[in-house]
Amino acid sequence: MKLNAWFGILEIGEDGKVLSADLLSKDVRELAQRSLTLRESRQDPPPAGFDLRAAALGCGFIEFPAEYDSLLHEVALEAVKIQVSASLTPDQRIIQAVEALDDINETANSLSERLSEWYGGYFPESGLGGEALAFFVAKYGSRENVGPDNPLYAKALDSMGANLEAEDEALLRGFAESVCSLYERRRQIETYIESSMERIAPNLNLVAGPMLGARLISIAGSLEKLALFPSSTIQVIGASKALFKHLRSRAPSPKHGVIFSHPLINTAPWWLRGKIARALAAKLSLAARLDLYSGKKDPALAEKLEEKVRQIRASNSRPPQKKPESGAKPGAKKKRRK
Amino acid sequence: MPEIRTLSEGVFEIIKDKKQLATRNLDPGRTVYGEKLIPVEGVEYRAWDPRRSKLGAMVLKKFDIPLKSSSKVLYLGAASGTTVSHVSDLVSEGAVYAVEFSARSMRDLIGLAARRKNIHPILADAGKPDSYAHLVEPVDVIFQDVAQPNQAEIAARNAARFLKKDGYLMLAIKARSIDTVANPKQVFKEEVKKLEQAFEPEFEILTARDLAPYHEDHLGVLAKLKNKTHLE
Ligand SMILES: C[S@@+](CC[C@H](N)C(=O)[O-])C[C@H]1O[C@@H](n2cnc3c(N)ncnc32)[C@H](O)[C@@H]1O
Repeated sequence: MKLNAWFGILEIGEDGKVLSADLLSKDVRELAQRSLTLRESRQDPPPAGFDLRAAALGCGFIEFPAEYDSLLHEVALEAVKIQVSASLTPDQRIIQAVEALDDINETANSLSERLSEWYGGYFPESGLGGEALAFFVAKYGSRENVGPDNPLYAKALDSMGANLEAEDEALLRGFAESVCSLYERRRQIETYIESSMERIAPNLNLVAGPMLGARLISIAGSLEKLALFPSSTIQVIGASKALFKHLRSRAPSPKHGVIFSHPLINTAPWWLRGKIARALAAKLSLAARLDLYSGKKDPALAEKLEEKVRQIRASNSRPPQKKPESGAKPGAKKKRRK
Repeated sequence: MPEIRTLSEGVFEIIKDKKQLATRNLDPGRTVYGEKLIPVEGVEYRAWDPRRSKLGAMVLKKFDIPLKSSSKVLYLGAASGTTVSHVSDLVSEGAVYAVEFSARSMRDLIGLAARRKNIHPILADAGKPDSYAHLVEPVDVIFQDVAQPNQAEIAARNAARFLKKDGYLMLAIKARSIDTVANPKQVFKEEVKKLEQAFEPEFEILTARDLAPYHEDHLGVLAKLKNKTHLE
């Protein structure tokens, strides 16, 4: 019987004794490559209980027992290094970008609030916030630098804000510049995600849009995992906390996964959202599988989805008479009717 | 001078102000996960945190630890190597085959394995032992901590291939990974039963204890292959 060991191909008899051996050279890189091939093919593995160490020593592949460990160690290490460096696939890069985007958003929001609080002492009437305020502060510093052609000129003139002294002004400007560059970084990452999504998941990109598509991949862990999820799971991805609660305490099953940010759902009347979510999830699942297995873009996907949504809308044009979906949170009913 | 007690081969309890579980550092001067290094009379020990290691908790729960300095160990679910590092200390003359299927965890494990010659890292699914059968020799101990619903089956498949007749299986069972809602006691009962009779080979359970307070809802199990000679 023929078997593949990491150090060669062996022929063994009925009794498990090695009859002949085709030994490889002790080249760590080559041995590691072969080990990876065997890992995939799982071809002719040694039978249960086969003593590889004794065989390696018996056939003369190694000269003394300790050499078995040192060589195997290097081969195993080399093989995992190759695997780890190959694991940073394009979808994994998108996931890193999505997570970086979340971190940037969180940081930009909290720094923007700080700036608004801080600069508010000097020009509370500006009415600006977020990126607009950061841009304004970085550009002008003190409100006294606002020229007559600026729409905020009048407000700046009779502001009740305190006088901004040079030292504080420098500090605030620097801070505002940092906030501005965070917003810039955010746009850069978004552009990256958009172009990567079109390249590695064109169908998901088409149906979900780049940000939602990227987020789905990120939460699933990889494009492959997303493609293997049933569409009922895709429908609730991102609602895992609510899902867990549902399982533990019979709380209503969650209907609000991340796909609810999709325009087809968030612009639909409340009584259609569940139905549209189901249709959307089915198409997303199909799109992810197309991306994984064929990689070719199918433009008809978006049209079919829109057609399906038109049907749903047409056959359910009025809200149901009785109470809304049982999944609605108590107290949330009124809001959702708006 | 702190007092040192040996709990089992290579496993120590250092008693100074309080008791501290420790192993002898095979890679002197280095810590792996932020644990303390404790030099005593020219020998460096590494504190072993039972809250971060299920094997450590099993020691304190008075399991017989079947590891010797020459043992060969197949470790399934190595993660970034917290526990693997202590096993590596224990089997200073032996070998640890450390299987992990997350590339991200493997990235950290590689750093550890590069410094410790007795760790052989393998990036593979423990549910497919065929995929690493060309690398792994028969072992004295299989340690498994994969937190997967099919862990009993994974243990059996690996034991069938790699566990020596008189070898031991050590297993950490996480109730929530089997069933997120059921009562942990019930889950443990069913998992033990699976180990005893659901797959081939069947195991004989030697010790099964809850790992609280070190790990909530975890069961530690020590088992060996069921002796079936009377059937042959
Ligand atoms: C609870 S952690 C192990 C912690 C580790 N034993 C320690 O104490 O340092 C479980 C690990 O098992 C890995 N794992 C889960 N299923 C696996 C499988 N089928 N094959 C290999 N590794 C697996 C996970 O990626 C995770 O890193």
